[in-house]
Amino acid sequence: MSRTLTAPPVDPMTPEPATTVRRRRRLLRRDTIVGYLFIAPAIFGLVLFIGYPMITSLYHSFTEWNGLTPPQWIGLENYVFMFTQDPKFWPSLRVTLLWVVISVPVTLAAGLALAVLVDRSTRGVKIFRTIFYLPVVLPAVAVLTLWKYIYEPTYGLANQVLRFLHLPTSLWLGDARVALPAILIVGVWSVGGTMMIFLAGLQAVPAEVHEAATVDGAGAINRFFRITLPMIGPIMMLQLMLGLNGAFQTFNQVAILTKGGPGTSTNLLMYKIYNDGFADFLSSPQLGYATAEVWVLFVIVMIVTIAMQRLTRRRIYQGEGG
Amino acid sequence: MTASLAQPATRAGSTRRVPVAHRVPMIISRAAWYVLCGLLAVTMLLPLLWTVSIALKSNGEINQLPPTFFPHEFELSNFVTGPAQIHFYRLLANTLIVTVVSTAGAMASSMIVGYGISRIDFPGRRLWFALISGSIFVPGVIGLIPLQRLYINLGLIDTWLPLILPSLFGSPIFIFLARQYYQSIPRYIDESATIDGAGHWTIFTRIMVPLTKPVWITIAIMSFQFAWNDYLNPLIYLQSPDLFTLSLGMASFLSDQAGSQYNYYMATNLLFMAPPLVLFFLAQRYFMEGLGSLGTVSK
Repeated sequence: MSRTLTAPPVDPMTPEPATTVRRRRRLLRRDTIVGYLFIAPAIFGLVLFIGYPMITSLYHSFTEWNGLTPPQWIGLENYVFMFTQDPKFWPSLRVTLLWVVISVPVTLAAGLALAVLVDRSTRGVKIFRTIFYLPVVLPAVAVLTLWKYIYEPTYGLANQVLRFLHLPTSLWLGDARVALPAILIVGVWSVGGTMMIFLAGLQAVPAEVHEAATVDGAGAINRFFRITLPMIGPIMMLQLMLGLNGAFQTFNQVAILTKGGPGTSTNLLMYKIYNDGFADFLSSPQLGYATAEVWVLFVIVMIVTIAMQRLTRRRIYQGEGG
Repeated sequence: MTASLAQPATRAGSTRRVPVAHRVPMIISRAAWYVLCGLLAVTMLLPLLWTVSIALKSNGEINQLPPTFFPHEFELSNFVTGPAQIHFYRLLANTLIVTVVSTAGAMASSMIVGYGISRIDFPGRRLWFALISGSIFVPGVIGLIPLQRLYINLGLIDTWLPLILPSLFGSPIFIFLARQYYQSIPRYIDESATIDGAGHWTIFTRIMVPLTKPVWITIAIMSFQFAWNDYLNPLIYLQSPDLFTLSLGMASFLSDQAGSQYNYYMATNLLFMAPPLVLFFLAQRYFMEGLGSLGTVSK
């Protein structure tokens, strides 16, 4: 299919083999040059925004560097300090993993549940889709600052609702046990994007398949697990990988809602990196150390992403085979 | 919740006759569906309605205990006093400039790269496409410190350029979307144009740009949202309050004014939410279809 472009149909009435070959080669060479010109921005982008940072930061992670004087090579010292001495590293890594393990499945499940709910042609369904999608349209900072006040213990909406329902109130972001779930609730509130992606996948499943299964006596739950889930497998995989990627790099929620607290209960690695790297412009930033932390996070995300890809791919193929 | 989720979803186009015995349960399940969706919708909208309520309250009522849900009188002056506290309209102009320029850049660069990667045949094309689409999954945190240092060294820190530059190099996810769309366009269109002597640039500008309208509108909307919402990048790259974008300004407004002035804050926050909301209602179809096209990615 792609080859036809470089070989325009030759008029069979005037066969000129030698010139045709030459012409084809010339066209191919021209297309190569033009093709690379077209994708040049992306190539520069890859080099500038991925290649360059990867190479320089790998080097900087082995240095002590305050950003003012040139980096000093210190070997593995940053990593040794991180794993053995930094009192905040292990708690931060633990809460990051906890956050990822909880928030990604919850978000995906909520998004899928909403998608299944609005995947029908009942009157009014479009209004519900719009309402469920609405929070996604709002700027992240607007949403987070709004929720910060919602969680305010005295005047906030959350406790107002709880009092109205005669339920015990909470300190929300001020309670070390509640802060992380409270952040997750904000994420679930804006799950409409995930819902829309799943909805597109659900609507690509042909209605006939469901009808045939219904005729064969398959119940709704059975149809969901045997037909719907396997058919949206690739979308699930994509969502899972993007979700993991995003969750490991969660920053805005923590920066605006909790500043990592109370204690270290929401001190996600991304926020710790930001604090070590640049939060204090007055005291000297520990750029070398922060870069080493970046590399730890980077390697974890890459391993998890690749592992998930392998795992889900195998499961999808098995689903197709069985 | 799970019980009603498991109800069979009646699909468009399946107008088969339902046996009498099944009709009554269907009515019940439909009613249950409306109740469930209604409850969820109210829950989703409640925080927004509450924002409006706070934004309308007077200085006295904002600190009243127990808090009221509906304001007694509408204090519309909050929509003037609030924005004035953070030079809202200057920040709005800043945000608009950054957003519009980077959206235009992302649109143009992604559509151009998308054309090259999907409709020009050249050696190495597959490899580059694999690299570009693979880079979607490379955690952006890797660029955090090196790029900030690079911009410091280039003297670009505390300007808008670090916020705009990345969009000029084609965003991987947009290139991916563009390619999906380009590939659905039949080959004979460019083949006949090639025979007529048109080069790729001509084919791109004259034929493809009009044909790919849905995808570049989708890219424009997503890119607008990314730029309008971005918080971390302005936080790292901007230092002078005069250059702040709204995300940055609103976040610092909150930390400066902790507590009592939430009516001013929420009024301003509503103004901050307004442009994306207006855009959403104008181009709702493209918002939803754009995400949908991410959902149909199956290769």
